[in-house]
Amino acid sequence: MATPETLETTAAVENPAVGIDQSAGNFTYDVKYDFDAGTGLSERVVDYISAVKKEAPWIREFRQKALKTFESMPLPTHWATKDLENINFDKIRYYLSQGTKPKRTWDEVPDDIKKTFERLGIPEQERKFLAGVEAQFDSEAAYSNIKEAVAKQGVIFVNSTEGLREHPELFRKWFGKVIPTSDNKFSALNSAVFSGGSFIYVPPGVKVSHPLQAYFRINAENFGQFERTLIICDEGSEVTYMEGCTAPKFSTSTLHSAVVELVALKGAKIQYITVQNWAPNVYNLVTKRGIAHEEAEIKWIDCNIGSRLTMKYPGVVLKGRKARGEVISIALANDGQHQDTGAKMIHAADETTSTIVSKSISVGQGRATYRGIVHIPKHLKGCKNNTECDALLINTNSRTDTYPAITVRGDTHAVQHEASVSKVSEEQIFYMQQRGLTEGQAMSLSVNGFINDLARQFPMEYSVELKRLIDLEMEGSVG
Amino acid sequence: MQSLEIKDLRVVLTDAPEKEIVKGLSLAVKTGEVHAIMGPNGTGKSTLAKVIAGHPDYTVTSGDVLIDGKSILEMETDERARSGVFLAFQYPSEIPGVSIANFLRAALQARLGEGEELDATAYYKKLYSKMDLLKIDRKFTSRSVNEGFSGGEKKRCEILQLAMLEPSFALMDETDSGLDIDALRIVAEGVNTLRGPKLGVLMITHYQRLLNYIVPDFVHVMYDGRIVKSGDKNLAIELEAKGYDWVKTELAKS
Amino acid sequence: MSAVLQPEATAGLTAADFAAHMARSADLPAWWLEAKKAAWNRYVATPLPKRNDERWRFSNVAAISLDGLKLAPTEATSAAALPSFPRAAELIFSNGELAGKTELPKPLRDKGVIFCSLRYALLQHGELLQKYFQRHSADLGSEKFAALNTALTTSGAFLYVPKGVEIPDAFAVQHSVAGENSSVFPHTIVVLEDQAKATLAEFFVSHDNAGRQFASGVNDLYAAAGAQLTYIGAQRWTPETLSFQSNSIVADRDARVLSLNLHLGGKQARHESHSRLKGPGAHSEMLALTIAENEQEFDQRTLQTHQAPHTSSNLLYKNVLLDKAKTIFSGLIIVEPDAQKTDAYQSNRNLMLSDEAEANSLPGLEIQANDVRCTHGATTARIDPEQEFYLLSRGIKPASAHQLLVFGFFEEVLTKLENEALHDALRSFIESKFA
Repeated sequence: MATPETLETTAAVENPAVGIDQSAGNFTYDVKYDFDAGTGLSERVVDYISAVKKEAPWIREFRQKALKTFESMPLPTHWATKDLENINFDKIRYYLSQGTKPKRTWDEVPDDIKKTFERLGIPEQERKFLAGVEAQFDSEAAYSNIKEAVAKQGVIFVNSTEGLREHPELFRKWFGKVIPTSDNKFSALNSAVFSGGSFIYVPPGVKVSHPLQAYFRINAENFGQFERTLIICDEGSEVTYMEGCTAPKFSTSTLHSAVVELVALKGAKIQYITVQNWAPNVYNLVTKRGIAHEEAEIKWIDCNIGSRLTMKYPGVVLKGRKARGEVISIALANDGQHQDTGAKMIHAADETTSTIVSKSISVGQGRATYRGIVHIPKHLKGCKNNTECDALLINTNSRTDTYPAITVRGDTHAVQHEASVSKVSEEQIFYMQQRGLTEGQAMSLSVNGFINDLARQFPMEYSVELKRLIDLEMEGSVG
Repeated sequence: MQSLEIKDLRVVLTDAPEKEIVKGLSLAVKTGEVHAIMGPNGTGKSTLAKVIAGHPDYTVTSGDVLIDGKSILEMETDERARSGVFLAFQYPSEIPGVSIANFLRAALQARLGEGEELDATAYYKKLYSKMDLLKIDRKFTSRSVNEGFSGGEKKRCEILQLAMLEPSFALMDETDSGLDIDALRIVAEGVNTLRGPKLGVLMITHYQRLLNYIVPDFVHVMYDGRIVKSGDKNLAIELEAKGYDWVKTELAKS
Repeated sequence: MSAVLQPEATAGLTAADFAAHMARSADLPAWWLEAKKAAWNRYVATPLPKRNDERWRFSNVAAISLDGLKLAPTEATSAAALPSFPRAAELIFSNGELAGKTELPKPLRDKGVIFCSLRYALLQHGELLQKYFQRHSADLGSEKFAALNTALTTSGAFLYVPKGVEIPDAFAVQHSVAGENSSVFPHTIVVLEDQAKATLAEFFVSHDNAGRQFASGVNDLYAAAGAQLTYIGAQRWTPETLSFQSNSIVADRDARVLSLNLHLGGKQARHESHSRLKGPGAHSEMLALTIAENEQEFDQRTLQTHQAPHTSSNLLYKNVLLDKAKTIFSGLIIVEPDAQKTDAYQSNRNLMLSDEAEANSLPGLEIQANDVRCTHGATTARIDPEQEFYLLSRGIKPASAHQLLVFGFFEEVLTKLENEALHDALRSFIESKFA
């Protein structure tokens, strides 16, 4: 079943763990799976997953119900791309693992899996600057550990399988409450077959000083990864979570469909950073949403570079007075890619504030789409939203779309949306060429300048890699 | 003769009621008189002017403001204006799309009784003569109120409105700020022409310079939300010579 | 000849109504009658808009009902007065019939200018009309109602201006409706040949306060190379009226089209406008002003299609919302792959005067060429409190202060009209809503 190692390039990579460099993730090692739900989706497959995980009956029922919801919902092609119709749900493998219990030390991780993560540089990263790491390999976490000092503060950081097993009271309270099963077809699919992902709980007042990181790796062909992440920040606490993802490039399509739910209780702050760099055969259809209670803050920092099609609109439900929501996103769509990303800001309390800043770059025949919802329903006072979308088109056949939807009720709010589309200035390029740079270098500099203010919001390790990646992606885009 | 009386007025910020800005201020201005209030920045001079006009950012906690013995504090901003209070703004608002002609017409129309119509011919005649007086180009009538005006043009436009609306009391909030000497002279000439038995003026200024052109009958020094010293025009000259620190030391002594 | 279909909901306009209408149209050209039959069948076959139709997002589609509608009675009624402005000629329609007109001045007739009713045009200039009638359509969701317009239209103007003829004064058209549940289907066609210049101002009003009425209008506006076309559409139906209007604008090489639509009336009024920039140098200025009050819903859908390089368009739609009113602005700029050097702008500004009003804004872009300048913006805000205070501090009463600020808000759009008399006429038309 597993593919022998196929290594195509060996570009020098400073920090492959963040999943920036596509070539760095494009390899597979032969892995033996102990658990395999087979190909296709059915009640039997759902039961199999539930049984492997030795789940409580309510979870099994939740899954089966979700499967029915998934089957009953049409693909959202009345607004989304018809490319969704090319997903063959019967050809996908929904569960592959070597077991459901992640290891606490890298020494315990089986060699065939460990060498993948070592090559991606994860253990090294962990030593350097992380408070905790979870490394998911196909359906389950192979490794999960949290630094002792952080664990002593009462912070829980485990994978979702463990979370459900060991902290059911906390988990169940919020699970599926931010994103109901029927939110969309893919959240229903995830609810039926979810496996892996992180469960984080930060106790009141605890500020986790270093980021927690999850790394999602798809190894198998024809596979679907469906992690489920739930982060609960109790009153006044703070956490930063980072996720990176890669997969080898296969000729057949791979599906990644995660559900991420965030809960920021009164005064809490959650920062969620994603760098998505899937291989160009991956359908990346992800539902991400947070609830921000009174004076809480949820900030999504989202970078989408790889995949064939990404559909992802991180959202914040501003449920408590003075809650703040922010989405900052960078998307780069190269040939054959469609980055359909955006944000949802649902205001549900007075004096709530939301900000959306989105920058996209379309290269070659790449297509970047921004879709946004800003909703301020009746009887609220003093809400604010500011949205900015800027698109940069590199080649004559590049494409960009912008589809915002803004609803405002009442006369005490201030809402502003602005979008612009431009290309790299010819004068700018000429100026740089006159100073001796090649056209490609000048183009890279320009593009980096375009996203510079957003890139700075990423942690250092990420933003350096982002710049490097832009250079890589821009290679050959001119001339 | 009419009177504007401010009695032991205390004012806080509406959004931050713990912050008191005017702290028990009393003053009486009669028509025919020109009063100047001077004082360092941040002592509540501009607040006083806005409070009298009824700005929603400020809340009166005690004391009173009366015109001819009648309190105006329960009145809305527009009612106060129609009772004879005119505020010449330090930073006049720009109102895109509303021409000066239409704006002043609406303001004058509001002063007429039910069913009365403004005489358009007389209105334009008066408007043009006042504009000539203030050296404002007649083309300005079709321009939007204050939009794209220079600092001097904005202040002249304020004086034009003062001339057109003929209030009993003019509160002039830092009318001299941002004016060069020529603009200051034009504005001062305008005010001086309007000076007379029917108008009382309360000039708020940081600098003595303006008072060389509009000579006040009374000068008050405001400090920390109160009037701490009053006198005639010589007080202004003394203040200019000694600076505001002099007031602070005087206060410290007492 | 195909069979005539019977709509499922028989309560509204029926096959019998269509037959009666056709019986009265027997003297018109065969192509026209065929087109009507085909359109009627398209109307019947096309379902009413559905909730999940993206083109009707946020619209109260459940409230759209054609039940009880009838063709407007044909007996002549005296028409409401048109706003005053100097005009080249006028056509007055009442309940879908020509009720009054002024003759086109002889010098214009001598130059080949045509300004007549749709019916007259069909009889006298059939071939010319056929060339332009629905050559393009808005195609923004109201196809069913546009088909109904073709099937049942009796009224509308045809303006044809030959090459190089410039006419400074506007052509005036008025459509008025009387009677409850009366339905009218105005269809105006304006064709400006190369380098021609003309203005047409069209007013849609309810003649009496007869409750619910229905209007489905369509306009075909063409500006050939270098032509300059100004189109004004001002609507004040009864507050219970259901109305649809679909306008198609085509601008050829170096042509400039300015369209300004004013929306005051109706319970539910939808307006679609589609500009196609077909030749290099073409420009379309798309403007709209809306005052929404009580429970009115104004639904505006626009499309700026740039099909040629070096084209430009500028859209500015301003809405003022009071009471429980609702507006929807959904606009899209499409830049086709070859339309390099496009300069397109789209802006929707909503001024909220009530805590219960709802403004929806969907400003969209689909860009397939890289050397372009495309921007859009949408803002929803209240009256600036400092501006309001300034007006009040001058003794202006709150209601008239708001009115001044509303006109101030609108002025940015009205000021784009070169014709001052028309500018003033529109101002007074808007004032009628405040009266």
